[in-house]
Amino acid sequence: MTAPTWLRWAWIAPAGFLLAFLVVPLASLAGQVLSPGTIEYVSDSLAWRVAGLATVQALASTAVSLVVGLPMANVLTRYRFPGRRWALALATVPFVLPTVVVALAFRSLVGSDLGSGFLIVVLAHAYLNMAVVVRIVGARWSTIDPRLDIAARTLGASRWTAFRTVTLPALGPAIASAAAIVFVFSFTSLGIVLLLGDSTTRTLESLVLRQTSILLDFQAAAVSAAIQAIVVGSVLWWAARTRNAISGGAMRTFRLRRPLGSSRWAVGIVVAATVVIVLAPVSSLVWSSVRSSSGFTMSWWAIFAGFETIDAGSTRIGSPLSAMARSLSFALITGLVAAAIGGLAAMSVLAHRLGRAFALATALPLGISAATLGLGTMLAYGRPPVDLRATGLLIPIAHALIAVPLVVAVATPTLRSTDSRLVTVAATLGARPSRAWWTGYGPTLRTVMIAAGGLACAVSLGEFGAASFLARADGPTVPLVIARLLGRPGEASFGVAAAMAVVLVVMTTTLVAAVDRGGRRS
Amino acid sequence: MNGHTLTCENLTIGYESALGEPLTFTVPPGSVLAVVGPSGCGKSTLLSTIAGVIPARSGRVLIDGVDVTQLPTHTRKVAMVFQEPLLFPTMTVRDNVAYGPRRSGASASDARSTAEELLSWVDLAGLGDRNVDQLSGGQAQRVSLARALAADPAVLCLDEPFSALDAPLRSRLAADVLALVRRTGIPAVHVTHDPDEAETMTGNNSSGSILSL
Repeated sequence: MTAPTWLRWAWIAPAGFLLAFLVVPLASLAGQVLSPGTIEYVSDSLAWRVAGLATVQALASTAVSLVVGLPMANVLTRYRFPGRRWALALATVPFVLPTVVVALAFRSLVGSDLGSGFLIVVLAHAYLNMAVVVRIVGARWSTIDPRLDIAARTLGASRWTAFRTVTLPALGPAIASAAAIVFVFSFTSLGIVLLLGDSTTRTLESLVLRQTSILLDFQAAAVSAAIQAIVVGSVLWWAARTRNAISGGAMRTFRLRRPLGSSRWAVGIVVAATVVIVLAPVSSLVWSSVRSSSGFTMSWWAIFAGFETIDAGSTRIGSPLSAMARSLSFALITGLVAAAIGGLAAMSVLAHRLGRAFALATALPLGISAATLGLGTMLAYGRPPVDLRATGLLIPIAHALIAVPLVVAVATPTLRSTDSRLVTVAATLGARPSRAWWTGYGPTLRTVMIAAGGLACAVSLGEFGAASFLARADGPTVPLVIARLLGRPGEASFGVAAAMAVVLVVMTTTLVAAVDRGGRRS
Repeated sequence: MNGHTLTCENLTIGYESALGEPLTFTVPPGSVLAVVGPSGCGKSTLLSTIAGVIPARSGRVLIDGVDVTQLPTHTRKVAMVFQEPLLFPTMTVRDNVAYGPRRSGASASDARSTAEELLSWVDLAGLGDRNVDQLSGGQAQRVSLARALAADPAVLCLDEPFSALDAPLRSRLAADVLALVRRTGIPAVHVTHDPDEAETMTGNNSSGSILSL
């Protein structure tokens, strides 16, 4: 490939971004952890007790996610039936919903009877993460030859035995991988546990937030974040080892099967259950946005739109509409920054001889929790001598950091699949290196950047964890306003929160659907 | 010879619509029924119906005179060998062959010795500890055959099992299978699109017959 010279230096911008907004904050955090008195914090039983509670909760959430997700993975990725693609997309919807929206939807669905506590937190986590199981395990399941099951049955194995002895061992690494990811998401959950949890469902993430924003004990918070990082790192390391152990051989996807006999019933039941499970909380949310104790109302939407005011009470909520405008502007900045940084990173992965190492480095933010990131950023840039909070840029920067790995993950394979000979052809026709490179990769890059930017916008719109640390009291984002409204009594607060959540659902799902559609077209 | 007999009576096959006319035939102990015909005529569907993988549209499948039409696959004792070996990827070669005996209640050590015996029969003694992805195509197909035989089947269904192999190996395995069928008395239904292979498998009609679909 005739690569232009500047492409070799494209890594500098993303590397500088990661250095400034990931390495420096983590170093600030490490500085807090390594300062005198840490031993006392490490031996403090509270952090360990919370880690224990979070482990139990995360294990339960993982188990329920697997129980719900495995039948969906089986049916949605192996059988052929009308509406399969639609059902698969539907099963993915909860994963792209903001956590505060899911929390609100569950509270709206189950009411105050199951309004908070262990069970509702576990169910909400399972709802959010079942798509992880469906996608990861389903992808593996579709590569397992369905005739292996038939072979086992002709050798005397019942359906269950064939599944247990042949299919399950082949799925094992994928299940372990999905379980590890769900465990990490549940273990580091913040929005769900803050809005639906009680004292039995605390996570280190929520402890870090409390130690930072209420107790102002940054050293204790840093130690809690470090304990969490060790647990998360260990689980992800184990998952990576399990995945590497799978190995081998080229995998191919087998043709979808038509369900026959009793399989038809199973497929029907699973699809119906998928529709009900996904849509029930969302429908309940929509219903809550137009319902009051006296019946149908549009008051909550009127308050949201600024035509009426919500009772201020003792807590300042701020204008819902201005929060929406703020979230949108943050999302736009996030989209632009993440697309630019992620795009340059993807190009560097492609062009540089250390591309693979660079790809790994850009994925680092994925393994770092929102609280760790938020706390680190606040320690580095949220207090004197460097206080960037007033600029309003810290939130979109933190969101961009979270979104960059996703942009790289979307852009790199697409750029790789572009035929590099187009660049050579352009060069042989007289194009200068930059022009030739753009002729070959430009059209793909443009499409991918728009899609990736859209994805980053969706991430920013719903992000709650980092924003909890970095938002100023008078400048909350929509998820933060929803959380504040839920902390207030009264049906008006709940109704307005539901209306805002409905808007978030529409915006995030539309963005993700557009990205998905654009991605498939490109 | 204490063998088994496979009988199909007015058997109609097919997923959504019937493929061809109702079939009636008997495969006596130790003989081979070679089923030939063009692609899509229902050769593999016939085997799947005999094995109970897909239900018969009408008619009956009998093994030793017992109607097995409604029995589930795993209780029919109809072992299948496919065009591809379809070895279980998470098991060793030996565990693949021992799979059938274990399902019928054999102890681990008995299943293991059965597996070793059959691996010797297919000239793969000593390879029991290997992973299945360490085998060549021919070796894998011989393991698949050994695995089917280890299940002590009443009927052997062979779905173009030699088509992916080279000519010398194909001839040798065909001869071996024919000898085995004669020796054990297991009736075999062998699907192929190759008329010459059909002739070989039926011992030029001396130990079997050809059914054209």
